[in-house]
Amino acid sequence: MASVELLDVHKQFGETPVVRGVSLAIEPGEFLVLVGRSGCGKSTCLRMVAGLEEASSGEIRIGGRRVNELPPKERDVGMVFQSYALYPHMTVRENIAFGLKLRKLPAADIATRVDEVAKMLELDGLLARFPRELSGGQRQRVAMGRAIARRPRVFLFDEPLSNLDAALRVQMRSELAGLHRRLGATMVYVTHDQVEAMTLATRIAVLEAGVLQQVDRPLELFHKPANRFVAGFIGSPAMNLIDGTVSVEGGAASFRSSTGSLRCALRSAPAGVAAGEKVTLGVRPNDVSAAKDVPGLVEAVEPMGWEAYAHIRHDAGKLVVRLEGAAAGVRVGEAIHFGIDPARVHLFAADGRAVLHPA
Amino acid sequence: MKRWLLALCFLALPAQAAPVTVTLWHSYRGAEEQALDQSLATFHESQSAIRIDALAIPNDVLASKLTTALPRGHGPDIFVFAHERIGGWAKAGMLRPLDAHLVPGQLNGYLTETVEPLRYEGQLWGLPLSFKSLALFYNKALVPVPPKTSDEMVAVARALSGNGRFGLAWETGNFYCHAPWFFGFGGKLFHEDGRLAFDSPGAIDSFAFVGGLRREGVLPEEVSGALVLSLFNQGNAGMVISGPWFTGDIAKEIDFGVAPLPIVSSTGKPATPFLTDEGVMVSALAKDPAAAFAAASFLAGDESARIRGTVGRQAVAAKSAWDDPALSGDPALAAFREQLATTTPMDNRPQMRNVWEPAQLALRKVLRGDATAEGAAIAGLRRFNAITRPTPPRSSPAAYLALGAAAALGALALFVRSLSRTAKAGRVREAAAGWAWVAPAAVATGVLILVPFAVGLTLSLFDHREGTWTFVGLANFRDILASRSFGPMEPLSFYYAFFVTVLWTAANLSLHVAFGLTLALLLNRPTLRLKGIYRVLLIIPWAVPNYITALLWKGLFHKQFGAINGILESLGIEGVAWFSSFWTAFFANVCTNAWLGFPFMMVVCLGALQSIPRDLYEAADVDGAGHWQKFRHVTLPLLMPALIPAVLLGTVWTFNQFNIVYLVSGGEPDNSTDILISEAYRWAFARQDQYGYAAAYAALIFVLLLGWSAISSRIARSAEALRS
Repeated sequence: MASVELLDVHKQFGETPVVRGVSLAIEPGEFLVLVGRSGCGKSTCLRMVAGLEEASSGEIRIGGRRVNELPPKERDVGMVFQSYALYPHMTVRENIAFGLKLRKLPAADIATRVDEVAKMLELDGLLARFPRELSGGQRQRVAMGRAIARRPRVFLFDEPLSNLDAALRVQMRSELAGLHRRLGATMVYVTHDQVEAMTLATRIAVLEAGVLQQVDRPLELFHKPANRFVAGFIGSPAMNLIDGTVSVEGGAASFRSSTGSLRCALRSAPAGVAAGEKVTLGVRPNDVSAAKDVPGLVEAVEPMGWEAYAHIRHDAGKLVVRLEGAAAGVRVGEAIHFGIDPARVHLFAADGRAVLHPA
Repeated sequence: MKRWLLALCFLALPAQAAPVTVTLWHSYRGAEEQALDQSLATFHESQSAIRIDALAIPNDVLASKLTTALPRGHGPDIFVFAHERIGGWAKAGMLRPLDAHLVPGQLNGYLTETVEPLRYEGQLWGLPLSFKSLALFYNKALVPVPPKTSDEMVAVARALSGNGRFGLAWETGNFYCHAPWFFGFGGKLFHEDGRLAFDSPGAIDSFAFVGGLRREGVLPEEVSGALVLSLFNQGNAGMVISGPWFTGDIAKEIDFGVAPLPIVSSTGKPATPFLTDEGVMVSALAKDPAAAFAAASFLAGDESARIRGTVGRQAVAAKSAWDDPALSGDPALAAFREQLATTTPMDNRPQMRNVWEPAQLALRKVLRGDATAEGAAIAGLRRFNAITRPTPPRSSPAAYLALGAAAALGALALFVRSLSRTAKAGRVREAAAGWAWVAPAAVATGVLILVPFAVGLTLSLFDHREGTWTFVGLANFRDILASRSFGPMEPLSFYYAFFVTVLWTAANLSLHVAFGLTLALLLNRPTLRLKGIYRVLLIIPWAVPNYITALLWKGLFHKQFGAINGILESLGIEGVAWFSSFWTAFFANVCTNAWLGFPFMMVVCLGALQSIPRDLYEAADVDGAGHWQKFRHVTLPLLMPALIPAVLLGTVWTFNQFNIVYLVSGGEPDNSTDILISEAYRWAFARQDQYGYAAAYAALIFVLLLGWSAISSRIARSAEALRS
């Protein structure tokens, strides 16, 4: 179990910068999830930690020691690939044992460890099979088993669940969480799925265009997103964002959308924002309710069973509202009135940084 | 008096309105062909009763074409050929004796020496056209006066030799060129009872003579006709022994003379070359014998002779043509005319054809210094006995025909059964449509593969000698497998050749895979620049036609003039006589074929390498594998599914790689580097057309490779299973 640190790491492929000055400190035993859109540089960061890519500049440390010059095999990391990368010509047992064999462990120890890992991952009956004879979920477990058997200091996961179907993904998520609890190892996990991030992580690091946006515990990220990008990325369905300006009258601050049709009082004046400056208001769908304030037209409805998400078109743009109970029976084309809870709004300045959060 | 006109008068009456066509086959080229055409034009202008239709056929296939076509009546009415095959053909009844057609005194118009060779067992089988033999060509700048005795010749040659120059040069390994010395030292070819007389003292002395000259460096090593010519043209050969064909190739700068060959000092006999008497023969099945004879008489007559002499530069047989100063004044032609008196006609008995290989063997052995002259002569004798295998006893085809009929009936029964099944299932129309689609390919396969295969198998049950086919059943197979006439571990034995072939295949494939895989690994590196250029360069060995490659490498391995020995010598290492011992000749063959064959493996490996997913290597990296471990545990196992079929294919191709073995080492030394397929070739085409025996060889090769395919397809299938 070791810590992992990235210190101002840059990476460019040719002329194209992919990772721009990422600094991240991962505690021992932490489950850190690197999340972001495609092409944001999260896999590249992971591969740099593994040693499969070389950092253009900056330092990478594992367990406090600089590892930039070390090849993967000397970094003592275990990696689980998106495509599993199982050796097709070896049985499950041989796949799991491969790293141990390379380290010249005695055969008896290898056998014990393989059996242990197989039991942990419920692979006991499959040890003599070849990868082509396994299902997706089984292959993923073999890939994890291969990493676990070596008892590395750090586990690296590169979008391991992307190739699985939805139900399996849910199941594997809970297995992974259980694994982390059991092994207590440092795990760095890359995914583009923010639900996975929210459910598995002790901390989440959000990346966009090679720049680290925010690193925090999941709920912190949810309730106090540091900028407009994180706010729109975390949470599903995404936060509603409305452009407008702030005005301060007397001691009371209020928000007015650029079209003027939407107004919302703010619980306090946002710090560092002058009156009349362009801002963006953020409010989550469940903080929008059917009230008598703003008129709109229902454009689409997503029934989820116990609730429904209605997509409403109003003067200032579009909005998603969470409705439940009788209100969930609203239909497309209906007129609807909604209101925003002023205590639950976020405000972002023109440069994207957050200037106001709900209490 | 134009004799041929007389002959024309013997044409049967009534005179035909349409001209009689007489077909003529010949192998003249260049000036000789021009002369022939001119003669024929003259003939056609002066009369219209006969039309001669001439067809030119390449020299190396003319004999076998005649042998197969004449007995069936597909051959020509008359043809031009050297006298040496007359014995065999006359015996086989393919020729028409001409004594009855001769006009009295007709033969007096020819030089006496040119008539006898065309006789066999008392009868005349052809009319003489021209003669060829060997004479001494000398470079006047180096040898102002041609030597009269062999001692003189050797003395002059010794003085000239050294620093890349040779006093003497001729194709020492070719018995035709050695013959003058063989007969000059008193050797003779056959004993009274027809046995080969290589062990006579004269023969052995002649072998020792050339062996000595070679050892002294007076004669060059591994001489080919091309080498002789280039040495003479560079001024690096004082005297050359060659025939009339040489004159046309000599460079203009060389002031050369031609003289008759000298007298052998120790015996007092002149060096007596073979006389090749070219004559026009008449087919036994000529449709109009009188017309054919008239046409032949014209060709051999004075008018045609004059044209052939002046335009074709032939040494013609007709006496009167020599009155023309264009012939008598030509120094080369005059020298050959003078040499004529001391020539010996090439023996035209059928046994003569079996002499060449043993004689070559003996000569090459003594020239290499592998054996004394006696030893070489005895080796030659043994080879003669081996290749003149006695005809196996005739056997009855009844059993085989019965078997064949049974097999055919069985096949027919199966076919009928499947037809009825198709009919019962009501799928006749579908089946017919299917057959219609398959028909073109089936016909092509049948004609190009199945039919020749069946013919070949049938041939293996026969014995073929001089146009006669005898059914001998499995005797050929028995002889091959029982290794009659040669010990099982000797060259010419099936088992020996098999052993060499297996060794050859294994050595080549290991090198192909090793080089191919290594280069593929190097080319597969993502950081390699100029990949495209390297790939093209590395494909070139495969793209060049392989006989060109073979000849190039053969030149590289030449003992005296090859680049490889040149490099060795510049490093202070003595040059190796590559083709003088089994292992070095084998090595030369393997080098050539390895160079030829690695691109194929390289391309296969490259393709397979690029299909190995990159993240397997990354997983191995993380697991802790080093370069070698990644190669062993990831690359190699995943290459197998592609490599194994390629290796199996390569095995079959290399097993039958005739070109390289035949062209590079040529089986040297003494047929020890011959593989099964080149051995079979020799039996068919170099040892008197023993087609049946060679077909049996081919059948055995087929069985071997069939067995190999069966084993290997099993291996391939289990390797395929690895691919998920």
